[in-house]
Amino acid sequence: MKKNLLYFDNAATAWPKPENVYRFMLDFYRDTGVNPGRSGFDLALEAGSLLDKLRQRLTRFFGGDEDAPERLCFGYNATDALNLIIPGLLGAGDHVVSTNLEHNSVIRPINHLVRDLGVQATFLPFDSAGFIDPHAVANAIRRNTKLVIINHGSNVIGTVQPVREIGRLCRERNVTFAIDTAQTAGIIPINMKEMNVDVLAFTGHKGLMGSMGIGGLCVRKHVELRQVRSGGTGVRSAHPYHLEEYPWRMEFGTPNMLGVAALWAGQDWLAEQGGVETIHAREMELAQKLVDGLRPIDGVHLYCCDSLQNHVATILINIDGMEAGDVGVMLDVDHDVATRAGLHCAPLVHQQLGTLDIHGGVRFSIGPFNTDGQVDAVIRAVEDIAAWRKQRQQARAAAAAR
Amino acid sequence: MSDCSIFEWNDLRLPLDEDGFLQQPERWDPRVALALASTEGLTELTDAHWKIINHIRDYYRQFDIAPMVRKICKETGYSLREIYGLFPSGPAKGACRVAGLPRPTGCV
Repeated sequence: MKKNLLYFDNAATAWPKPENVYRFMLDFYRDTGVNPGRSGFDLALEAGSLLDKLRQRLTRFFGGDEDAPERLCFGYNATDALNLIIPGLLGAGDHVVSTNLEHNSVIRPINHLVRDLGVQATFLPFDSAGFIDPHAVANAIRRNTKLVIINHGSNVIGTVQPVREIGRLCRERNVTFAIDTAQTAGIIPINMKEMNVDVLAFTGHKGLMGSMGIGGLCVRKHVELRQVRSGGTGVRSAHPYHLEEYPWRMEFGTPNMLGVAALWAGQDWLAEQGGVETIHAREMELAQKLVDGLRPIDGVHLYCCDSLQNHVATILINIDGMEAGDVGVMLDVDHDVATRAGLHCAPLVHQQLGTLDIHGGVRFSIGPFNTDGQVDAVIRAVEDIAAWRKQRQQARAAAAAR
Repeated sequence: MSDCSIFEWNDLRLPLDEDGFLQQPERWDPRVALALASTEGLTELTDAHWKIINHIRDYYRQFDIAPMVRKICKETGYSLREIYGLFPSGPAKGACRVAGLPRPTGCV
């Protein structure tokens, strides 16, 4: 790990990972890294056993149907899962309701269906605090609406949407409700049954503390999801088509067993910490400290964080008169602070915030290994950059006046 | 070539992308650098500017990618703020652009 780096880019990937994750990944892959579910020798069965146990464990973790753990299917990441969910639920003439808070992992698959199949789409704006009004979702539902898909937690401004209420309204209207949990899985508690969520997409390398390259979807029993891919399943090889039974229905080719091992160990670690609520509470204390420290700095703008209720620890800022990218470079080079500056693959958020013209904003995303002292250092860094910006502006104004 | 515009400077006509990066890198020469620098509000390029431009071009020729900003600072001896003083748009959008490099990739 790079010495002295203040890592505030946990919304891109949680880093570092807990030591037990690194250890278990390596040990498992070295000792049991054979192809699961294909060959019948004992070691292959052992590898398959971890896969099956993880399905059960994550189904419980997400509050899915515990009597149908096969509906927890693994893929590469949330984007991969969303590319199964969105075209798997929508066809020509269907309507989908989504929001301006979405990541391109939702926007682009929808836009492709709009362009290629004539699917109709409604993207709802968020309010000034960064939230979607559940009744606006209900009002947007039409007779041909087949799917409501919402970013559970924004990867740009950190707001967590009222999915329970949105889910209830969708359920009443018999519309499938899906959520993208890339920023919330392993960070805030999720219970699909209680939240009326029909389908959930997750990634493994963020709050779940697994590795990159593992993610997936959890599909409730009453949901019919069409296959949009096909290939090897390791079973019933003589069948000419991809299998319709879960998990094979939504899994294609050899799974990422290194990632499976990482997710398993990540679950152990989350439990050892006292659960996601405990970690989240600590992260939000740091987020509040960061907001309180940044707010008084002259020239610093914060977005959608007047209150950090229903928030994950992701804070977006800009500094007057500076492009986000320049602030990011200065934080990195002069202060060893790693952030993400730009549009965060979520252009509609920045369009609505009015930050497209300055190429987005600077995002600080706090993870379980950040400390009070690091937050203090970040505040000092932003103070320094904002002061430099002010001096530079004054010097320019003086030069222009001469 | 999309979202391209023609930038005219003295007798030069340079196709630039939407962010002002040179679309035909083979056309770069010191006069083109001066033309591009004018879009930064610069009327001349000093030895300090050239030290940075030459470092960036040498690195790009060798690795086909712009150098990391830390590397530019370390190799040229200029701090990041000094680089912003020389190229008001900074190392990427200023110095790399004047050096004729294509627009760096990144999530913007």
